[in-house]
Amino acid sequence: MSRAHTLTVALALCVCLPSTAQAATTATMSAAFAPDRLGANTTLSFNFQIAANERASDLLTGIDFRYPANLGIATSGLGVASCPVAELEAHGPSVCPPDSRMGSGSALVEIPIGPEIVRETAQLALIAGPSQDGYVQILISATGESPVAARIVLSTQLEPGDLQIAVPPIPSLPEAPYVALVRMHFTIGGNLTYYERVHGRNVAYRPVGIGLPRSCPRGGFPFASSFTFLDGGHADARTAVACPGR
Amino acid sequence: MRLMRIALAIIAIAVAGMGSPPARAMAARVLNVRDEGKLHFISSSGSEILDEGPGVGSVPGKVRVHFVYNGNPEVSASFTIYGHGGSISGKANARLSNPTSPRPSFRGAFTVTGGSGRYAHIHGTGELFGVFTRRGYALVVQTIGKLPY
Repeated sequence: MSRAHTLTVALALCVCLPSTAQAATTATMSAAFAPDRLGANTTLSFNFQIAANERASDLLTGIDFRYPANLGIATSGLGVASCPVAELEAHGPSVCPPDSRMGSGSALVEIPIGPEIVRETAQLALIAGPSQDGYVQILISATGESPVAARIVLSTQLEPGDLQIAVPPIPSLPEAPYVALVRMHFTIGGNLTYYERVHGRNVAYRPVGIGLPRSCPRGGFPFASSFTFLDGGHADARTAVACPGR
Repeated sequence: MRLMRIALAIIAIAVAGMGSPPARAMAARVLNVRDEGKLHFISSSGSEILDEGPGVGSVPGKVRVHFVYNGNPEVSASFTIYGHGGSISGKANARLSNPTSPRPSFRGAFTVTGGSGRYAHIHGTGELFGVFTRRGYALVVQTIGKLPY
């Protein structure tokens, strides 16, 4: 079975349960492993979407992403170097050491320009940042090109079972409202090439990726997210990845 | 004459010792631990890694460690050392530094929770130091402590 097919199957098995605390805004999420096999090394993909009933989306200010604490993210071998935040902000992920890359993704933002809502896709790079207090710092670099050329760096700390991402106000055009983040997809792991010194030479290798536990909880691996918005509202979403085979 | 006095003194000490409870005599022994284990990866399940390898020092033998690192810099482990005269089991907690380096180091403490054979009554605590290789999951662990048994 191809990798893409495996991912599709895993996504199809996902049960996505949106819920809201505020009537105007809903959030949905999904998660997937590829490959999807107990005890294997895998990638974790995560998607969410914010939907507002009103014309413009609420401004997202924070995401609290909860995952099973026994997933082997810290033991994945991802991020064996770190990238200074200032370098990443100034020049983008291309200046960061290859061994600091932890994943990639994309984000869809809405930009109100006059009466129109213009959509823009930004590319995401997940980069290991300098450690604080012994925790792995994950930097999410978002780079958009058109119609608004901008780069922002979000920061989160890898804690057992939890990633809290603060989303700052994202300016767009002069006098225009802030950009609203409405959809995000990212994958931790994937097609990454690292380098290590062996007998004085740089030798390329692929980090093994996230270790899946050998056993699966009843009901599958649970994931949940809480989204907070500038107006004080929030929305919750949860999902579970069905128990894969061995 | 001097040799005779020494021999009599040894016999007197031995006879006096025969009346003592065996447990007290056992508790007087202390294992001065200063050991090192170089362990290699055996298997993993999520954030838990099983490593094994030879240990050298005061209790030479096979060392088996279940190491848990889930993002919290406070890593934990349970271990068993299979020595020639018996085994020693325990648990450990340590703080990992430099988590985004290829080989983060850690430092902490261990507590012996049980033993078998000649170490059936072993107990106590000690310090541990180590290095975790993030590619390949090898562990190097050094332990220092005084363990009554």
